[in-house]
Amino acid sequence: MSEVKIDKLCKSYGPVEVLKDIDLTVEDGSFVVLVGPSGCGKSTLLRSIAGLEPVSSGSMTIGGKTVNDLPPAQREIAMVFQSYALYPHMDVYSNMAFGLKFARTPKAEIDARVNEAARILQLEPLLKRRPRELSGGQRQRVAIGRAIVRKPQVFLFDEPLSNLDAALRINTRVEIAKLHKMLKATIVYVTHDQVEAMTLADKIVVMNKGRIEQSGEPLDLYYKPANIFVAGFIGSPAMNFLGATVKKNGAVTLVDGQELKLKTPTAAKAGQNITIGFRPEHTTLHGNKDLKFKGTVDIIERLGEMGFAHLRLSSGQTIIAEVRGDPGMDIGAATNIGLAEEHLHLFDGNGNRF
Amino acid sequence: MSDQATGGGSGIIGMGRGSYLWLLVFFLAPAVLIYSIFSIYPLFATIFNSLYLRQPDGSYLFNGLGNFHTLLTDTTWSAPFWNAFRNNCYFFLIHMAVQNPIGLALAAMLSLPRLRLRAAYRTLIFMPTMLSVVIIGFSWQLILSPLWGISKMFLQTVGLGFLFAPWLGQENTALITISLISVWQFVGIPMILIYTALLAIPEELIDAATVDGLNQFQAFLWVKLPLILPTIGLVSILTFVNNFNAFDLIYAMKGALAGPNFSADIMGTLFYRTFFGNQLQLGDLSMGSTIATMMFVIILIGVMAYLFLIQRRMQRYSF
Amino acid sequence: MRKPASTFVVHVILILYTILALFPIILVIMNSFKARKAIFGSPLALPTPSTFSLIGYDKVFGDNSIVSYYINSITVTGSTIFFTLLLGAMAAWALTEYKFRWNTLLTLFLAIGIMVPIRLGSVAIIQLIVQMNLINTLTALILVYTAQNLPLSIFILSEFIAQIPKDLREAARCDGLSEYNIFFFIVLPLIRPAMATVAVFTMIPVWNDLWFPLLLAPTGGKQTITLGIQQFLGQYITDWNAVLAALSTAIIPVLILYIIFSRQLIRGLTSGAVK
Repeated sequence: MSEVKIDKLCKSYGPVEVLKDIDLTVEDGSFVVLVGPSGCGKSTLLRSIAGLEPVSSGSMTIGGKTVNDLPPAQREIAMVFQSYALYPHMDVYSNMAFGLKFARTPKAEIDARVNEAARILQLEPLLKRRPRELSGGQRQRVAIGRAIVRKPQVFLFDEPLSNLDAALRINTRVEIAKLHKMLKATIVYVTHDQVEAMTLADKIVVMNKGRIEQSGEPLDLYYKPANIFVAGFIGSPAMNFLGATVKKNGAVTLVDGQELKLKTPTAAKAGQNITIGFRPEHTTLHGNKDLKFKGTVDIIERLGEMGFAHLRLSSGQTIIAEVRGDPGMDIGAATNIGLAEEHLHLFDGNGNRF
Repeated sequence: MSDQATGGGSGIIGMGRGSYLWLLVFFLAPAVLIYSIFSIYPLFATIFNSLYLRQPDGSYLFNGLGNFHTLLTDTTWSAPFWNAFRNNCYFFLIHMAVQNPIGLALAAMLSLPRLRLRAAYRTLIFMPTMLSVVIIGFSWQLILSPLWGISKMFLQTVGLGFLFAPWLGQENTALITISLISVWQFVGIPMILIYTALLAIPEELIDAATVDGLNQFQAFLWVKLPLILPTIGLVSILTFVNNFNAFDLIYAMKGALAGPNFSADIMGTLFYRTFFGNQLQLGDLSMGSTIATMMFVIILIGVMAYLFLIQRRMQRYSF
Repeated sequence: MRKPASTFVVHVILILYTILALFPIILVIMNSFKARKAIFGSPLALPTPSTFSLIGYDKVFGDNSIVSYYINSITVTGSTIFFTLLLGAMAAWALTEYKFRWNTLLTLFLAIGIMVPIRLGSVAIIQLIVQMNLINTLTALILVYTAQNLPLSIFILSEFIAQIPKDLREAARCDGLSEYNIFFFIVLPLIRPAMATVAVFTMIPVWNDLWFPLLLAPTGGKQTITLGIQQFLGQYITDWNAVLAALSTAIIPVLILYIIFSRQLIRGLTSGAVK
């Protein structure tokens, strides 16, 4: 059992709180992604799990064992670093064998493990080369190999794809997903890219300013974001947000006066100021749907089989709508955008979902 | 002609070849001239001089490598020469064995993450390097002097009072004592150079080693140390060049005769004495030049050896 | 994760070594202010009102030449720094910026000087200086020290100049500045940090050098402070007050300068070595 349980973890650097009350469970064999903007604390949390950073309070267990006071080597973790951190003066084989040598693993065992990892990652022809002679993608595989040979309870990945170019990133993403299934490993993975998070994770943990904003399955976060931050972070292009006021009859008035009649009752009280949100990909042109938005076309971005239309509402705010095919719109034309009510999100004054 | 110098045209569009040449001359000539006249020419002139032997009537006769032969084999010259050479080797060995490991250890400690007062330690430990050897030499002479008795006092407090002796005045201890004083003064340089090299090692590499199960000491030995070998090589060659060029400290403490009984005589003092003369001998231009040329050859051999043997293998350790 | 015990040990070792490094200096300065009896009686004690004495300093400064020695050192060091920087920057600029056939060769030629010790050519240097009638002048020292420090200065400044964005120089050319103007008004101000580093790096060895003042300017009031102290020490060797005072007089200015410039110095030392 290699479950990771984190309970009320806090970490401060002097007066600055970098992690606040983190509660997180990583189930055995699951792929958990920590995602969030720069400075949100995701790397700090990962390094705390690894034992590279001390924590101020709270507890962490790995595989049932409390690890708060254990050094990294005894936590049965393995880490893949952002810049791979390969030892430049050793060849690939030695890089992977290094930690095992210090753990006094018998030579035959080391040999077996390194060769097995090399086979899985297709590194066999590279075993005698030095990191300097490898490409970025190859180096990354060696870094992963180094982690595999440790046979850890948990794999920790710190933004492993950020140093790769775009095409390689997509390929490697798929490779990592395959590796997860093959090894049935427990993985905690940090990235700032929400696409990586969505595609790889069994569970996504969105962090912001040291706190967990929301954690759950990717589609849960997509369809039911708990607050404006998560709603705006997940999904690309980002969700449209408009301020609105609630009316007595269950309708919602936008700033520019447009009224949207809602069929389902909400917990929102009359007179309350709220924020509504909807994703560009849920809009339709010339909407024949429950809710309509009127605006004039400002910019059209055409990408081939789809495009994004930026509409200006009479209040001056802009919303983005995704359109299929060539919209055939003109700049400046007045247009209606339609939205099914089920795709409308309502957030209260604090940014939380109703 | 100006075409040739500039490689066939001006490097600047719109500037004629003639003006381009003047431009280059303006910027380069002063530096190149001073350097050539006072640095390069004298070196070659010295080598040239060493090929001539001064005659009793004051003229110079071409002697080929004869001077070198005399220096190395004729007892009047070769005895002091080999003595100085041997002493210089001891001098160098003591520096390599004491100065560089201490510098390495200090650098390793200073480069520990989250070390408070790091800058203060660095500044203070480097201070002796700043002072002139005259000061260092004389201060230590006072401290080690039996008249003042400070060192004796210190040794007595740690129970080693019996070890005390007028080390500077004794033939068999003078050289070692002076060498250690020189080490004391110059430890700052390897310390700073190695420290800078250690800083260049990415922190992530040490994290990886920590995750791999190494403690701080092991990480230093197996990860950091191999990666700073090029710097250690550099420090070694600098030590070599400096040691075989040394003069100031010994002259300051022992004068040109480098006593007692030439036991502290090294190449630099031998050279000075030969060229300028002293109460024992007249100055000798030819032999002085010969000694200088020998020093140059020795240093050159050392540098070449370093470049070819060691530098090539150091490539392995680059990032 | 780090045990506090090992950090403690590290600090202990560092403190011990720092004491070892500073102790002789402090001892000398401290005792230079004491009367002769106190120097021998209680060498480790700080000067107290009863033991305080400036008698050594009287002797040191009594003979006015000490002041002139200081002036000599300042002149030589200052001028050397000035010429090393100016001529070095000019050469570094030309070698970095302009393409011409002998560029690489010239660079190598100048690089030799970094490794080869100039002292070995002293025989010929003396002959040269004598022929130029510059024996016992500060000019001789300035010329020799400049020649000695130019290679390293050029090397360090070249690295720095190479980092100036090409766009800047090209914009200046488009703006109509002549090459000379570009150097003096654009490049020089931009490499000030590197020049500060080279200055500090050059200053200390030149100030402290014993060899060339001994060879080229040993008499006639043109001694530098280093040589002057050396001669003074030789003369007053049994007069402990005078000797300690003389040493302190030589130490204190350097110490003060060092503390002010220590950061630049260390930066200069490291950039000069990375080659």
